Amino acid sequence: MKPALFDYVRPESLEETLKALSASDEATVIAGGQSLLPMLNLRIASAETLVDISRLRELKTLSETETTLSIGALVTHAAIEDGLGRDAFNGLLQKIASKIAYRAVRNMGTIGGSLSLCDPSADWPVCLLALGASVAIASLEGERCLPMEDFLVDAYTTALEQGELLVRIDIPKQGDCAWGVSKVNRKSGAFADSLAIAILGTDRQPARVALGGTASCAQLLAATSALLGQHPDIGADALSSAIATDVAAAHEEATPYQMRCHIHTVTCAIAEARSWSR
Amino acid sequence: MLRKEDRRHLAGASTFVADLRLPRMRDIAFVRSPAAHGCIVSIEKPTGRENSVFTLEDLQPLNPISGGPEIATFRNATYPPLADEKVLFVGQTIAMCIGTNRASAEDLAADVIVEIDELAAVVDAIDALTDEAPLLHEDWPDNSFIDATITEGDIAAVRDAPVKIRRQLKMNRQATNPLETRGVVAYQDHRLDELVVYSSTQGPHVMRHGLALALGLPEHKIRVVAPDVGGGFGGKNRLMPEEIAVAALAMKVDHPVRWIEDRNEHLVASIQAREHHYDLTLYSTAEGRVLGIEGSVHVDAGAFALWPSGPFMETGMAARNLPGSYTIEHLHIRTHTVATNKAPIGPYRGVARPGACFAIERMIDELADELGCCPVEIRRRNLVQPTMMPYRTAGGLRLDNGDYPKALAHALEMIDLPKLRERQRKGEPDGRKLGVGFAVYTEQSGHGTLEWVKRKSRVVPGFESATIRMLPDGTINLLVGIQSHGQGLETSLSQIAAQELGVDPSSILVRHGDTGLSPQGFGTFASRSIVFSGGAVAKASRALATKIKAIGAQLLQVPAADVTLRDGAVQSSSGQIPIADIARAANIRPELLPAGTAPGLEATETYEPPESGGVFSYGVHAVTLLSHPVTGVTEIIDYVIVEDCGTLINPMIVDGQIIGGVAQGIGTALYEELPYDENGQPTATTYGDYMIPCAPEIPNFRIKHMVTPAESTEFGVKGMGEGGAIAPPAAIANALNDAHRDCKAKFLVTPMTPRRVSDTVADALARENAE
Amino acid sequence: MVEVKLTVNDQEEAVFVDARDSLSDLLREKLQLTGMHVGCDHGACGACTVHLDGTPVRSCIVLAARCDGSKVRTIEGTRNDAMMDIVRRHFHEKHALQCGFCTPGMLMMSIDIISRYGVPSENQVRSELSGQICRCTGYMGIVAAIQAAAREINGNGDN
Repeated sequence: MKPALFDYVRPESLEETLKALSASDEATVIAGGQSLLPMLNLRIASAETLVDISRLRELKTLSETETTLSIGALVTHAAIEDGLGRDAFNGLLQKIASKIAYRAVRNMGTIGGSLSLCDPSADWPVCLLALGASVAIASLEGERCLPMEDFLVDAYTTALEQGELLVRIDIPKQGDCAWGVSKVNRKSGAFADSLAIAILGTDRQPARVALGGTASCAQLLAATSALLGQHPDIGADALSSAIATDVAAAHEEATPYQMRCHIHTVTCAIAEARSWSR
Repeated sequence: MLRKEDRRHLAGASTFVADLRLPRMRDIAFVRSPAAHGCIVSIEKPTGRENSVFTLEDLQPLNPISGGPEIATFRNATYPPLADEKVLFVGQTIAMCIGTNRASAEDLAADVIVEIDELAAVVDAIDALTDEAPLLHEDWPDNSFIDATITEGDIAAVRDAPVKIRRQLKMNRQATNPLETRGVVAYQDHRLDELVVYSSTQGPHVMRHGLALALGLPEHKIRVVAPDVGGGFGGKNRLMPEEIAVAALAMKVDHPVRWIEDRNEHLVASIQAREHHYDLTLYSTAEGRVLGIEGSVHVDAGAFALWPSGPFMETGMAARNLPGSYTIEHLHIRTHTVATNKAPIGPYRGVARPGACFAIERMIDELADELGCCPVEIRRRNLVQPTMMPYRTAGGLRLDNGDYPKALAHALEMIDLPKLRERQRKGEPDGRKLGVGFAVYTEQSGHGTLEWVKRKSRVVPGFESATIRMLPDGTINLLVGIQSHGQGLETSLSQIAAQELGVDPSSILVRHGDTGLSPQGFGTFASRSIVFSGGAVAKASRALATKIKAIGAQLLQVPAADVTLRDGAVQSSSGQIPIADIARAANIRPELLPAGTAPGLEATETYEPPESGGVFSYGVHAVTLLSHPVTGVTEIIDYVIVEDCGTLINPMIVDGQIIGGVAQGIGTALYEELPYDENGQPTATTYGDYMIPCAPEIPNFRIKHMVTPAESTEFGVKGMGEGGAIAPPAAIANALNDAHRDCKAKFLVTPMTPRRVSDTVADALARENAE
Repeated sequence: MVEVKLTVNDQEEAVFVDARDSLSDLLREKLQLTGMHVGCDHGACGACTVHLDGTPVRSCIVLAARCDGSKVRTIEGTRNDAMMDIVRRHFHEKHALQCGFCTPGMLMMSIDIISRYGVPSENQVRSELSGQICRCTGYMGIVAAIQAAAREINGNGDN
């Protein structure tokens, strides 16, 4: 269980990185490597050239303005678990980070790596989608920003193009937001069979509910979010039909079990968020 | 006593096969079949690298060796070290490639082109026996290794019993998953004129015998060494094709070769286990006295019969253990050991009994449900009573002693059932369902010659040997034929010798796992080592003690009968002599020995327990869990074990074996599964898909020991290494059944994953709504 | 080949590795530090856990080349470590190991847990050990050993 041969470059700067990425169709970015290296070891993925971005210090920082929390793409899950950005979103980021895989993996794995891989069951895409985040993407041509909905395209597919690198995640601050998280997995640390995150609306942003564990990328549950936004106190029965509609659209060929799990996690996440606000 | 083994492991200074470093050692990677069933058309070696790629032809001469019982009706399915004509499962070895390291060996393996004409795959043991099923072995009339019927009493006499319950149950396929995978390092030692094979195995002597047969070498020219072995659980107790191929390759090349199984190889091509299908009918009186069981057992045995024993033992033991610990008089079970396009099955902790226990204990709970009776009460009515011991079950097993009802009573006391029932009535605030489940099990251990002969075993592990050698300073080398790979036998066996010789265990060094050092033995499996090797060590120690006492008595000028060995000295009422002085005299100062005493202090003894049918540990597991009716997630909140394994030599080690076994049983019950798709492709090939329970999944355990010493063994010990793994699937399934009794959900298939539990509950609710 | 200069157990090393070599390959095959073991080679079992720049990582899924300039600590580097000796003693007394294959990884994880939590609760220890597979012990001894060691090292905090 060893990877096939590949070339390796380890740029010291963002510019050097972007040059390396634009120079070749076959360059693969490696950040923490916690998903990529197992796939390479198993030879279910291959790479011609690995561009190791672990030296890009500028991607390891967190910064804040009045309205936005910005997380560098190379911030590790462990750093967030240990409190980086703890005060924003009432600890949601910390909670999400602490449940990703295992500590030794969290020490290496990065938030940007997780987003860029876009595994259907991963935690960050769901969380950041629910938070209405956007990503900053750098290339030799400059930087562009995309809302999460546009960045996440499908399972293992993002809007990143050749020569581009995800460098930063910008999350709009929401004041005192109430959230709920619900996850079903086969055992601790395993990828989620279903993961729902609900964030109730504040004066700054409407309610948003997102779902992971579908056959595609993380999905925003539009009807459910809208209903919660319009009628914050809406009853469980009325919500449940919106949830069922959303979930069916989010995961088209779901098995009955997957459907049950999705409806359950979404319902629980919303209930948890509501109990928080009361 | 704390374990002697710990120091090296805690320092990171142990030596497993993969830790060996030999000059010019090269790594091996295997080319494995991507197809479940097919004919090999061609194997094309990469140009220029032909000398680094080996097929079966290149390893000749090799002798095919047949595994399986020596029964005429057992059909032969010899497992070739490398496939040459047909491949019968995904992962079967086809060729081997040498590289300077594993990665380059894998590169080479990826460049070997194998053309295979694919055939339809056989993936279901029941369908495999239909006329339409393709044949794996073309010289067989169907896909069955062997069909047999186990019968006792007269089942026809109870067929019109007032209560009849028929259920189909399945225990799915698992991998054994020791954390250290298999591994082999082999080279020719020209100085000693022997082929040295380091192997992560549970039984080096038996493997040497098998290698000699396969390689056509005289046995004295093979040395098999099992260094530190990182768990086995049965999965390292068969001679596997890779071991033969690597040993054969070492004879063809002029450097050491190493193959370390990776986890992917482990999950697709190592010994696999379980996969039992049961279709059972239970007959009972209206009062819940079980009269008989009838039905069939299909064991999905995979493609080949592993050397030496093959898969038949699994089926026979499953059928014979179905009456469990109950006074069921009539048994009639048709058994089918079926070949399918999957990796061959072999032993795994509990061998057959986790399936049999799951089946009978579920049936007993189904009977309780049918009669509206408490599962505990039904068990009370049917358990073998202590006054009936020794009791011969309908499966032909002789339960030697113990008090099964009392074990059940203890378990009940420990869990406070009325309180749990009250909590169950109130319901959980989070909507989960609380369930309590029981399972009773027995564990045959330390069975000897007659039992293995009855099973028609090719190798009859009917005894163990021990050589005890006292050195000039009075310290001791104890050489044994078992192989300790986590069981702490270096500690337990030295405790036994120390007790017999009146010395400190720290003065004893146990050596095992090396055919170049140890006397003939069979290794560690089947919960046999404490009984067999413990017995052999006790006997050898006593023989040595006799000589030491005789010398001591003469020097003290008292009759031999008047001395004892204690505190490192020969003691008499008139004085004492340190054992070290006698050791010195016997080894290097013979002139100090009494006249007529032969020098040397060494004894070799073999031991076979007098009761060849074995002695039976037994116990009761009581599990309390919370089950989510929608997500199907299970949380075990209490796990009680009442257990009787006779005399405990080292209680700490015994508890460790129990807890470790139960943890694996929880894996069987809730997490671990090797599914195959309809084309015979395995779908759990990494730890991303194959779930091994970790610390959050495993609860704390509460254990109570009962001690009923065995009558036939040394010190009254019984083997107990497997028992922990036997009962959990049954107890957990019964607890789930209890949790979801409202909706009549039936838990009849392992592992009870969230998906399976959720689907089972949903189906039951749908049925209920339809009614 | 890539040259990697790193500090392993306080010793400076310069090693040539293949780009595809993992940190576990570097430690086990180049430096002969075979104390930690490789149980799955895809980051799922925890046997190969070592400390990289002070934090535990799965060395089978860390590229050796990436470790240029890093500090690595393996089980061999803890043989004279007072804190680890306490952990080791409790592992010994609580029967927290059987075959010993997972043990070095468990120990490296243990001292990290104790460093971060002080005196962790049972649930915290269990949760932190998620992903560290022990196939022999059923974890009970390991959890107890870590808790006992933590109490001895960090006092009887009521965390």
